[in-house]
Amino acid sequence: MSDESRFPSYVAIWSWLVALLVAALFCAYVPFGKALAIFLIFTLAVIKAFLVARHYMHLRTEGLLIYAIAGVPVLLLLGLTLALVPDIIFRR
Amino acid sequence: MTTVSIEAARVGERIPSGKLAMWWFLASEIMTFGGLLAAFVLRRFAAGGWEDQAAHVSTRIAAFNTLLLVSSSLTLVQAHAAVKADQRNRVAPYLLCTIVLGLAFLAVKGYEYSGEIAHGFTPSAGPFWSFYYGLTGLHALHVLAGVIVNAALYVLVIRGRLWPRVQQRVEYAGLYWHFVDIVWIFLFPLVYLS
Repeated sequence: MSDESRFPSYVAIWSWLVALLVAALFCAYVPFGKALAIFLIFTLAVIKAFLVARHYMHLRTEGLLIYAIAGVPVLLLLGLTLALVPDIIFRR
Repeated sequence: MTTVSIEAARVGERIPSGKLAMWWFLASEIMTFGGLLAAFVLRRFAAGGWEDQAAHVSTRIAAFNTLLLVSSSLTLVQAHAAVKADQRNRVAPYLLCTIVLGLAFLAVKGYEYSGEIAHGFTPSAGPFWSFYYGLTGLHALHVLAGVIVNAALYVLVIRGRLWPRVQQRVEYAGLYWHFVDIVWIFLFPLVYLS
């Protein structure tokens, strides 16, 4: 068993998730440039997903096998999606 | 040989079979939701944004639903922590909170759907709405499945039955529920904020 006390509490993680939700809403409503707003909003989403996966799904204490099972489809998905991007851009 | 290698890896890392199965299931779910989200992003990019259609969804309602789902993740992980600490009397209340928050999410989603349909934004109203109902509907079905699993666990816990198995099942149900939460974390900005 890992020592859970060295990690932030679950309530602290929830507070961060709520704060990041508020920050995302702020980015959506404050008139930044659209590209910057979208970049910030999705960066915040990635951070929120990371917090949930690492602390609530306990990836922080998992071994390599679980990382491989979860990571391979993510990489596959990103690769396949990026492979389609040129096709979408050149068709516009 | 491959089977032996995987088995050796499992034994070496002492991962329970149920947990391994849940992660394999989640891997398939990553491809299911990821494929749909990628199709939505690419199609939307190719079509020039669909801003006029996306302007009709309610960001406030969706933000409230995000808060509900994030809070339900907190209550379920607290249930898991109570299970690990063998504090049986704390598990049932946390599970009940998770169920109520999940049902509240579905009720708010139903309210949101009814308003949109009343304004003529049905799944056939355009590609944005087809994706909208497809993505959020599939997600809502996953929330419903999670609520049913959590309700079954709640009944087992309050009856005090199968405690050793319940301990592991709360962890597996939590993995699924948090994954559904992560899907919403990406759905929310894709559909409501961009």
